[in-house]
Formats: sequence, C-alpha cells, structure tokens
Amino acid sequence: MSIAADLIRGHTDAIILAQLIKKDSYGYEINKVIQKKSDGLYELKEATLYTAFRRLEQAGCISSYWGDKNVGARRRYYAITDWGKESYQRLRREWDEAKRLIDLLIEEE
Amino acid sequence: MENKIRDYVEDLFADAPQTKKVYELKEEMVQNLIDKYRDLLAEGMPEDAAYNIAVAGIGDVGELIRSLEVPFRDEGMEVRQRNQSAAMTAIAVIVIILSVLPVLIFESFGMENIGICLMLVMVAAGVGLLIYTAKTKPQYRKKEDTMVEDFKAWQADQGQRKNLLRSISSALWTLTLAAYFVLSFMTGAWHISWVLFLIAAAAEQLLKACFDLRK
Repeated sequence: MSIAADLIRGHTDAIILAQLIKKDSYGYEINKVIQKKSDGLYELKEATLYTAFRRLEQAGCISSYWGDKNVGARRRYYAITDWGKESYQRLRREWDEAKRLIDLLIEEE
Repeated sequence: MENKIRDYVEDLFADAPQTKKVYELKEEMVQNLIDKYRDLLAEGMPEDAAYNIAVAGIGDVGELIRSLEVPFRDEGMEVRQRNQSAAMTAIAVIVIILSVLPVLIFESFGMENIGICLMLVMVAAGVGLLIYTAKTKPQYRKKEDTMVEDFKAWQADQGQRKNLLRSISSALWTLTLAAYFVLSFMTGAWHISWVLFLIAAAAEQLLKACFDLRK
C-alpha cells in the first residue's frame, strides 16, 4: 500500500483536476470522493491536498472562491480554469503513455 | 471538541507568518476537518476517536507553510548593491568637486578653453553617475502581504524620490560653484558674478516644485 501511495502521490494534481472538471468543489468533498472511488484504500493527507491546491492555483489551473452559505460554515471552493482543463488532458496523455511503457517494460519475456 | 480542532490547527501554524493567506488556509482547514469529524460522528464513532482520526489525516504541514511564503530576498546581494551605490555616489561627488582643477591648471598655461571643456565633461560625467545610481538603487521588495510591508514599500518609494532630488541638487550647487569661479576668473566681474548663487537657489526651488507636481 505504501509503495502504491507513493506512486499515486505523483499524480495528485491530475486526480484533483479530474474531480474539478465535473463541478466546483472543496477540500473535504474532493477527499471524500477519492476515498470512495478507491474503496477506502487511498486518501490524501490534508497537507498534500492543500499544497496541491496552492500549486495549482499559482499555475493558473484552478481558481478559488469562498462559498456563501447562509447557515453554517463558509467553505473555500475551487473551480477549474480552461488552462486547468488543458493541463488535465496533458497529464492524462502522459499517464497513458507511461502506463503503456511500464506495462511493456516490466512484462516477463 | 470542534474548538479543540481549531486549537490544534492554530498550534500547527503557530510559527507561520501571520499573513492573509495563512489565515485563510487555517479557516479552510478547520472547516474541512470539522466536516470530517462530523461525518465520523454520524457513522457512530465516539468523539475522541473521531477527533484523533481527523487530526491524524492532516500530515506534515511543513512544505505547505513554506509554499505560502514569498521567496525571501537575497540579503547579501542587497548589501553588495548598497555598497556599490555608495561607492558610485562618492566617485561622482569627487569627480564633480575636482572638476574645477583643470580650469585652474590650464589657466596658468593660458589655455582656459581646454580647462573649461574638461570641467564640463567631468561635471557631466559626475551628474550622469549620480542620476544613474539614484535610479538603479534596489527597490524595497515586499516580503509579505501585510500592512507593515505595504508601509515599508511606500516609505522606500518616498526615500528614493528624495534621494534623486538630493543628488540633483548637490550636483546643481557644485556646478554653480564651479561656474562662479570660472566666470569670475575669466571676466573679472567679481562684483556681479555672485548672482549665480541666487539663480541656482531659484532653480533648485523650481526643481522641487516640478518633483512635487509629478507625484
């Protein structure tokens, strides 16, 4: 699990962008979806998640705004930008390519 | 228990700079942790266990805090630049002061024109150097997004304007002094040539007015 987690961590940006393509979302919600999708096997550390948010925001891939809820808490929402969508497609292609190569390379003769 | 979560996050960021970004991040984190904590409670988990799981999921915030800091400026580089600009100013002033020498020297050989030409060249070089130094002096760069930093930047901006004005006016006075001696020696009109100083004073005031207007 820990080796797989290291592998996955390198793709945090793509994972977050994939969530935001569907709809704007906030930190805990994104993490909850990740957890559910992976059958509880994977969950991002809060620190990793927010570091990725800052990095993506600085790169212009996402933007953030404070949700205005009349009752309860104000949440910070993130939205994907056009540049973010492009980045997602690029990361996706890179991963497909890497996956194909690794499959080829670790194949038993 | 929710206050305990808040306290825990405050503790984590105790050493972080107190900027707007850090404040917002803390708010965001506390809110998400409380959401998580409530979900865990809803699943029937006891309060203590839910708190521990929520807090354990935070991980190492070291990198996160560093990512919020604007890159620090290079202190050593700044000191070097300051020393360099001080040296340039000193050289410029020396060149301007010594510019009367060629006039005095060449006059004794009866070649005033060459002396005056040399003086003008030296003064021009000195003034050019002064203006260049004042203009290229490193600006104060903002370290953080705080009121204090904004104020410091404003102060630095004011200081730079003053510096430029000061260097121009010191050049003006040296120039006036040189012109006074040259003209007086050449024409022998000592009785009237002192008017130059009045003209220089007027010019300086005009200069100041122009500066204030440009602001």
